[in-house]
Amino acid sequence: MIFSYNWLQSFFKKRLPKPEKLAELLTMKAFEVEEVKKIGKDWVFDIDILPNRAGDCLSHMGIARESSALLDLGFKIPDLRFQETKDLKANDLIKVEVKNKEDCPRYTAKVITGVKVKSSPKWIKARLKVCGLRPINNVVDIANYVMLETGQPLHAFDGQKLEGRKIIVRFAENREKIITLDEEKYNLDEDVLVIADAKKPVAIAGIKGGLSAEIDKKTKIVVLESANFRPGTIRKSSKKLGLKTDASLRFEHGIDPNLTELAINRAASLIQEIAGGTIPQGLIDFYPKKVFSKRIKLDLDYVERLLGVKIPRKEIFDILKRLQFKLTEARPLSKTKGIIMVEVPTLRLDVSIPEDLIEEIGRIYGYQKISSRFPIAALIPPKRNLDIFWENMAKDILKEAGFTEAYNYSFIGEKETKIFDYKVKEITEVENPVSVEQKYLRPSLIPGLLKNVKENFKYLDEIKIFELGKIFINGCRLANNEQSEKRMLAGLIAKKEGREEEFYRLKGVIDSLLNKLGISNIWFVEYQPTPEESQISIWQPQKCAEIKVNHMEIGFLGEISSKILDELKLNLLKIVVFDIDFEKLKTLTSEEHEFKPISPYPAAIRDVAILVPRGILVQDVLNKIEVAGGNLVRDVDLFDIYEGENLPEGKKNLAFHIVYQSETKTLSSEEIDKTHQKIINALEKEPDWQVRK
Amino acid sequence: MPKINLKLLKNQIKKAIGSAKDLKELNDIFKRYLGKRGELTQVLRSLEKLPKIRRAKVGKEANELKNFLRIKCDQKAIGIKEKIRKETAKIEWIDITRPGEKPVLGHLHPLSQVKNKAEEIFQLMGFSMVEGPEIETEWYNFDALNIPKDHPARDLWDTLWLKDNYKLKTKNYKLLLRTHTSPVQIRYMEKNNPPLRIIVPGRVFRHEATDASHEINFYQVEGLMVDKKVSVANFKAIIQEFFQKFFKKPIEIRLRPGYFPFTEPSFEVDMTCLTCGGKGCSVCSQTGWLEMMGAGMVHPNVFKAAGLNPKNWQGFAFGMGLDRLAMMKYKINDIRLFYSGDLRFLNQF
Repeated sequence: MIFSYNWLQSFFKKRLPKPEKLAELLTMKAFEVEEVKKIGKDWVFDIDILPNRAGDCLSHMGIARESSALLDLGFKIPDLRFQETKDLKANDLIKVEVKNKEDCPRYTAKVITGVKVKSSPKWIKARLKVCGLRPINNVVDIANYVMLETGQPLHAFDGQKLEGRKIIVRFAENREKIITLDEEKYNLDEDVLVIADAKKPVAIAGIKGGLSAEIDKKTKIVVLESANFRPGTIRKSSKKLGLKTDASLRFEHGIDPNLTELAINRAASLIQEIAGGTIPQGLIDFYPKKVFSKRIKLDLDYVERLLGVKIPRKEIFDILKRLQFKLTEARPLSKTKGIIMVEVPTLRLDVSIPEDLIEEIGRIYGYQKISSRFPIAALIPPKRNLDIFWENMAKDILKEAGFTEAYNYSFIGEKETKIFDYKVKEITEVENPVSVEQKYLRPSLIPGLLKNVKENFKYLDEIKIFELGKIFINGCRLANNEQSEKRMLAGLIAKKEGREEEFYRLKGVIDSLLNKLGISNIWFVEYQPTPEESQISIWQPQKCAEIKVNHMEIGFLGEISSKILDELKLNLLKIVVFDIDFEKLKTLTSEEHEFKPISPYPAAIRDVAILVPRGILVQDVLNKIEVAGGNLVRDVDLFDIYEGENLPEGKKNLAFHIVYQSETKTLSSEEIDKTHQKIINALEKEPDWQVRK
Repeated sequence: MPKINLKLLKNQIKKAIGSAKDLKELNDIFKRYLGKRGELTQVLRSLEKLPKIRRAKVGKEANELKNFLRIKCDQKAIGIKEKIRKETAKIEWIDITRPGEKPVLGHLHPLSQVKNKAEEIFQLMGFSMVEGPEIETEWYNFDALNIPKDHPARDLWDTLWLKDNYKLKTKNYKLLLRTHTSPVQIRYMEKNNPPLRIIVPGRVFRHEATDASHEINFYQVEGLMVDKKVSVANFKAIIQEFFQKFFKKPIEIRLRPGYFPFTEPSFEVDMTCLTCGGKGCSVCSQTGWLEMMGAGMVHPNVFKAAGLNPKNWQGFAFGMGLDRLAMMKYKINDIRLFYSGDLRFLNQF
């Protein structure tokens, strides 16, 4: 809210500190002053009033009261003097009926007759303008002025325009309408509280006045309203109508019901002074349940324990008194000497428990005066978080393998759901998305990574990236206690004019990754989608493998289908992707690792080259070699694959290094030759296989 | 039996070795005299044919000559090698200004690095790391944190709601994307009794138009310490220690009054501006301070919501933006870069 320094000064006899000094003080002990600006002879403060203090501080009186507590200056409330005439009774001029007392705990009204509506005096106009309000006429300006001064929103009706001389506080009926002062039309319903006359709504309660009872130049009788409304009721109306005003803002946060009287008297006195007129006797006051001050028991030991500083008793008492809290020693017994009873002014809606009082003591005493002290605590070692540990480990391994980590948005748009053919039923929809690009929660990390590829290909020929993050599965499943979100680890190699080799490069990365995470037993199994899946699969047919560990499928590795690459306009690229369920993966990881003794006996290498039909899997050949070779074969290494020129049609040549080594002796060349021959024989048993010599 | 003139032979050897130009020549010389058919070898072989008296004398001389030849050859070889080394050293050189061949290294995301650093510092102070779900119920994200429905305090968090609801028995909780990591305070305290010290890193979401300093998703670290006597003074010490370790600089902090429904008292935490050290500059809008986080002492209602008796426990909680920490550490001026996947950005870390 915007505050005028001169206005604040008007509550004090003594001088306030200079504007910058006051701003600094308020910032450190009450509210952040975001800006101090000189306008003419005044200084304007933009103060960020904390939401829990809106009730007592969205007003000049509030900040003056606060400044008075901080500076211990005498603070005086403004002039409330006015003259009532005994010939007339307010009650005879207007009748107030409150139908919903929960929603309107207090309604005070005052009538002023014979006013002269004209433009406001300069000083009122100046203050309103400084605070960002447009002057209208003296009566309306005074209502606004008093709101800025006291924090209590007021409304002025033209008494002669109120039909039946009645004010009824009630909920609107469906299909009732109102045209507000700014000539906007609103359709009302049963959720909106209104102020009505005998026939129709004349104001939206606590939000805005209606045009029908507007104060104009001909107005002679002013009916002033100073009421209190339930915050939830006003918030609901305001949300429903999409209408926020200075009044609704204040009511939404809650205001002390005891404030209405002071405000209406202040307004009456100003109107009489400025617009003339007579005031019929009496305050119309509907206030069935008077609010009294709360009392809170405060343990001074607890003050010390929570703040971590010993503040002298006298200082605590002094702080509370400056805040207009009243103190009584709860029990004079020596045993409970540290306990006091504090009476909280009704203005302070935010103070209801001892901790609230401790905050008041702490901030006014000064948080900067509390010296840092390390806690004294039992030496309980922190628990290791394995989720985070394995996550970091996996990221580090991929980083070392030359991959860069990306973070993508948790959202996808309508467009992606079409390209990747996600069924709306299977993905989670945001009820109030910021934009259509962020309408759904991502069901996979792959769309984000492909987007990264597209962006980066403007500058690069090869991209290696990964992401570890959460994906979301349709939230409905939550009901069955299934996880609706899970961590995935996905990555890719994308290359301009890439070849099939990229698949094997990434496969090697997966092997290393899993090995380093303590996982052996890794299988790559040809992925055969069901006919239904094959329609929607993001994977290129015959170029995708399931990654399995101990027969548990943990993810996929494969090329992105040419259909999707076409749609994303990435068809110049070869993109190989892995997508691993990290929740599964982390259950398989292990830090256990056992040393394998280094054989003291030499190893010998023999090569074998074999011509096989193109469709034969390397795995099948490897299996044959390993089975035939037995435990003398320590390692088999495929070092060349060739098909094409000089080879028969439909054949490929595979060349292996076979490493022979024993753990118990040096192998003789006869032993090695014997085993090697055994392997060759086993391979040649297959009808179309031919070992090349 | 030829007349053996060992003296003449020695002179020949001397001369030959002296004129040898390279190792091969030297080797040939050695072979000529001491090879299988070498002149000296033949002399040695013929010794047995000599009469005993002469044999001893000539034998001694011949063996001396053999050693002489060996030593001279070795010396000469060292000389030649040295000469070759010197010559090659003159010719061969490396242009040390030519750029090195870099291995292709990957990069961890700056937010991962900052998160790791924060985790490390807090772990050293005995904090355990805990995580929580990104999809939350209205209860954990708001109600349990003392932010009641239809309370204007909810406006402090612009929320992304989900279409699905969470149905549990008769109750129906609305689902949302967590707006802060604070729900994990409740989740953790429901299952763990104090004393406790945790930090909670994680992704959070806001219904917000994005710009250089606002994102629809970003990262927070929540902290919570609960024990019998944990105080504001303790909070100041822990958080100052964190900032000093994180930025590796002496740093002052200050607390200002703040408002969060789940803490009481609540503070805004500022630290000395990193750029000017507190003198005031454009980065800190001349105040000398940077706003770093919100914090406070856990509200009794939060303990109650988690099933703890507020009379028995007290503690502090805080939440800070990891993105903001990273932006300060690396002087990044646009939060959107973190989520751009732009390798020109990511490969700098």
